[in-house]
Amino acid sequence: MFTAAASLRSCASSSAKAQCRSLATSAASSTAQSSTSEPLTHYRITLRRSAISLPQNIKGTLEALGIHRRLQTVYHRHTPDIAGKILTVKELVTVENVPESAVRTKWEQRQERKAPRGYSVTGSKLQVDL
Amino acid sequence: MFGAFRPTQPSFVGLLWKTPWKLSRTRKANVRARLKRVDSVIEAVKESGVQCAALTKALELPKEHEMPPRDKYTVFSRHAKGYRKGIHKVPKWTRMTLRTNPKGF
Repeated sequence: MFTAAASLRSCASSSAKAQCRSLATSAASSTAQSSTSEPLTHYRITLRRSAISLPQNIKGTLEALGIHRRLQTVYHRHTPDIAGKILTVKELVTVENVPESAVRTKWEQRQERKAPRGYSVTGSKLQVDL
Repeated sequence: MFGAFRPTQPSFVGLLWKTPWKLSRTRKANVRARLKRVDSVIEAVKESGVQCAALTKALELPKEHEMPPRDKYTVFSRHAKGYRKGIHKVPKWTRMTLRTNPKGF
């Protein structure tokens, strides 16, 4: 319990980052909720297929999108230039429209993937009444 | 006639890779799944409300359910008999846009 409280406090202190690990575990449901109210402003782009041995312009487009490896996810605003880049590599990526609140930086995505640190004591055999 | 030393083409000539002339049922199902995935990407970009030349171009492509099986599994080839060859003979065919063919072929 103590570690959980500590992590919550640290998250509260960095509220600009906003997405605490414990909150972020339910990210999918939160985006589903917010999609009804919040406007969808960003593309969530995930590279599914590698661009190995494809033409240089396609490889360069992935670099321009900030994608460097397979299954990497990046977020970009809805703009014509990003839309064009997505359509250049449409065979390689999957795209979703997400609201601003669902946008995660590389660091935040990493924090969400991590298992929670520490442990919580659920009971003690010493204190069981016989 | 039978066994490990039977006279087959691979045992005679060493390295020999053969490509089947048509796709199997499973490979065709995979083709359709890939086409649908690309359709969903175009659909997502369309729903974002952005307008650009690339999008109008992409929307001109036929969707998976609009394509005839002929276009899904074969492509135009000027050298092939009947001007068609299996789409799997095209290099990198799983990661390319090969939806439209010359009219009349």
